[in-house]
Amino acid sequence: LGTSQSIQKTYDLTRYLEHQLRTLAGTYLNYLGPPFNEPDFNPPRLARAERVPSATVDLDLWRGLTDNARLAANYRAYSRLLCYLRALDGQAATADLRHRLGHFCSSLQGLVLSIAGVMSSLGYPLPVGPVVGPPTGPPSSPLVVAPNDFLKKMDDFWLLKELQTWLWRSAKDFNRLKKKVPPAVVTLRLEARGF
Amino acid sequence: SPTDSHIQYERVGADVTMKCGSMDWDAAVTWTANGTDIDESHLNGSYLILKNVDLTQSGQYSCYEGSSWHLKYQTYLRVGIPPKEPVLMCRSNNYPKGFYCSWHLPTPTYIPNSFNISVIHGTREMVCEKDAFPRNRCHIRYLQLFSTVKYKVTLTVTNALGKNSTTLTFDEFAIVKPDPPESVVAKPVPSNPRRLEVSWKNPSSWPDPDSFPLKFFLRYRPLILDQWQHVELSDGTSHTITDAYAGKEYIIQVAAKDNDIGTWSDWSVAVHATPWTEEPMYLTTEAQLTETTSASTSSFMPPPTTKICDKGAVVGS
Amino acid sequence: GLVQSCGHIIPESPVLALGSNFTALCILNESCLDFGNIYASQIIWKIKNRVVPKEQYREINRTVSSVTFNDTSSLDSPLTCNILADGQIEQNIYGITVTVGLPPEKPKNLSCIVHQVLQFTYPMTCTWNPGRHTYLDTEFRLIHRWPQENFPDCIPKDVNNSCTISDVQFFVNLDIWVEAANALGKAESDRLVLDPIEIVKPLPPHNLSVNSGILPTVLKLSWENRISTALMKLKFNIRYKIAGDTKWMQVPPEDIASPRTSFTVQGLKPYIEYVFSIRCMKEDGVGYWSDWSEEKTGVTTED
Repeated sequence: LGTSQSIQKTYDLTRYLEHQLRTLAGTYLNYLGPPFNEPDFNPPRLARAERVPSATVDLDLWRGLTDNARLAANYRAYSRLLCYLRALDGQAATADLRHRLGHFCSSLQGLVLSIAGVMSSLGYPLPVGPVVGPPTGPPSSPLVVAPNDFLKKMDDFWLLKELQTWLWRSAKDFNRLKKKVPPAVVTLRLEARGF
Repeated sequence: SPTDSHIQYERVGADVTMKCGSMDWDAAVTWTANGTDIDESHLNGSYLILKNVDLTQSGQYSCYEGSSWHLKYQTYLRVGIPPKEPVLMCRSNNYPKGFYCSWHLPTPTYIPNSFNISVIHGTREMVCEKDAFPRNRCHIRYLQLFSTVKYKVTLTVTNALGKNSTTLTFDEFAIVKPDPPESVVAKPVPSNPRRLEVSWKNPSSWPDPDSFPLKFFLRYRPLILDQWQHVELSDGTSHTITDAYAGKEYIIQVAAKDNDIGTWSDWSVAVHATPWTEEPMYLTTEAQLTETTSASTSSFMPPPTTKICDKGAVVGS
Repeated sequence: GLVQSCGHIIPESPVLALGSNFTALCILNESCLDFGNIYASQIIWKIKNRVVPKEQYREINRTVSSVTFNDTSSLDSPLTCNILADGQIEQNIYGITVTVGLPPEKPKNLSCIVHQVLQFTYPMTCTWNPGRHTYLDTEFRLIHRWPQENFPDCIPKDVNNSCTISDVQFFVNLDIWVEAANALGKAESDRLVLDPIEIVKPLPPHNLSVNSGILPTVLKLSWENRISTALMKLKFNIRYKIAGDTKWMQVPPEDIASPRTSFTVQGLKPYIEYVFSIRCMKEDGVGYWSDWSEEKTGVTTED
């Protein structure tokens, strides 16, 4: 798979995830019930929810990111978001919701792998550190358990919102990468390294 | 002194009493409105009484001492109303540079108003730089992108008679709405009686289409029909209509939207075109007297009145 | 009669490859020798109730007799070891079940298709040629992996040449292969490496409606696509015929080769009832055509 083709696939997967999340988040927030499913709900972001990787970035900084830094930021974010999401996945009441969350988690895992694939095809090292929570068994929930149900739901709310925002950001990230990594250039660089 | 430019604001419907400066109540005075004497019935002693004032009673009111015609008091009465809740709209048509907010009052106040806008993002106050034109608009430069924290914009309008405000709270992505596509051109395709080639450009206000690609919605219909056909296009700035009615003039418009976020732009300027036909068509509509692809100014052009035109005019060149 | 078993056969319950050779040993217990005055030389091997020719016997020693079959094709169950002691009736010592079969062949022609079932549900069905009959319990497993992610294997039910993975993921290349295993061996198919998005058979458009327009030679079709544009862009085929006719006509494919939800069919005959049907597939032609949609009719206006 050429680099530009794998960037394209990663971009397509990001947009498909974003598309899935739109309905999935709506269903989940309805499951959480009001006020979480109200469009203008704007809760404070408490300490726990601050642990969720934020997509917010300084505009000029974002523009100036190197390809490596851009990809690494995505890789780290989704690796951690996946852990949080798996924690979410475990408790959803309805079987359908659990199935859809499980499928979405698997898709998100695919995105992490895709990003890793792009990074390695560009010769970039993967970010170090515990990337993904244990695939099986109760996920080591990086989220300190919320003291009550309402606060737990608030954490879930912020997790879904942050994830949605990350997917928007990543779509833009991969657009930039697509434009900067035409197929021909990459093949040349790979040959130069004796691949 | 009495001639100082003193303005007095009063609400429509209010009862207004004006004293003649320091003159006693029982002093003999004359009041004028814009230089015209006011009837004695409006006087209560030396006080001028205006009941249930209306807009027409705005003007310059002067009070002269009875015998000496010495100007003792002068004011400019401005009758108006307190501002209603202003209509505020914020939109990002140049994402990710920033967004602008514009406002207007639902009803005029007839007296000067001042507007103050505050933009809060989380804990940070952002500067809304006023535009020279139009005056009821200012813009905010994004310092951060991809924020999950909402923006809170509060517009306060104040005039001499009252104050009102509107607050909008929105997510960064919710207000992304590009301007319509530009340079829309529609052309017949030689030897293809059912095809029209449409092309357009990204709105020039959209700063970075590479990283923030737009997708487009194209709508087209023959003038003889009311119902539009729609096609959504996710890349590229051209499309070939393949099911145009042979020989019928078409009206075509395009709208744009960020590929992932925000809402659709308004429709572009409408363009007209008629598919290629075997032999020259007789001009059937006034619109075809001008260029085949003419850009009308309004966002939607009502079907031109059909008139039999000169045989000589050729369509679809 | 002998209460306690006076011997046993090894191997116990062998599974043997068809056409191979096989030797079994019948081992008499020392304890029985004294009691019944019996010797290995008195052993008679039987398949079912057929005596195995003596030429295939060999007396290993006083207590052990072997029997050899050069081609297991003739073998059957049970294979028994019996004793015919002097002046006594034949006595069974021990018996084993012999299973004869073949190791699985390498599964071939592995191919997969993703059928869209719902808006977000895409089961992937893979089929393969399981190879020759093995006469043995042979388990097939459809294995699908990402480089660093294992998914649960798909175990076919009631068949041995297809399996359906309930909900597949897109836009990540998937390694897919089939593993066949039985007592005599294991075999793996060639590996397929594909992105499931390339093998989708979408649901056909639905809610097809046919509207007559102002012109008597035109009918306008409208429909709804059931696959998300976030997943793929579509192209279409539209076929139509005069009601009652058998011959279908097609709208030129190049006219409907891009995403849309309506098309105006022209060049029709006035005041005629037409039947329409539409199908779709991925715009770049990678994947499968959907089935044809439900047919809908429309009548052109009078001239």
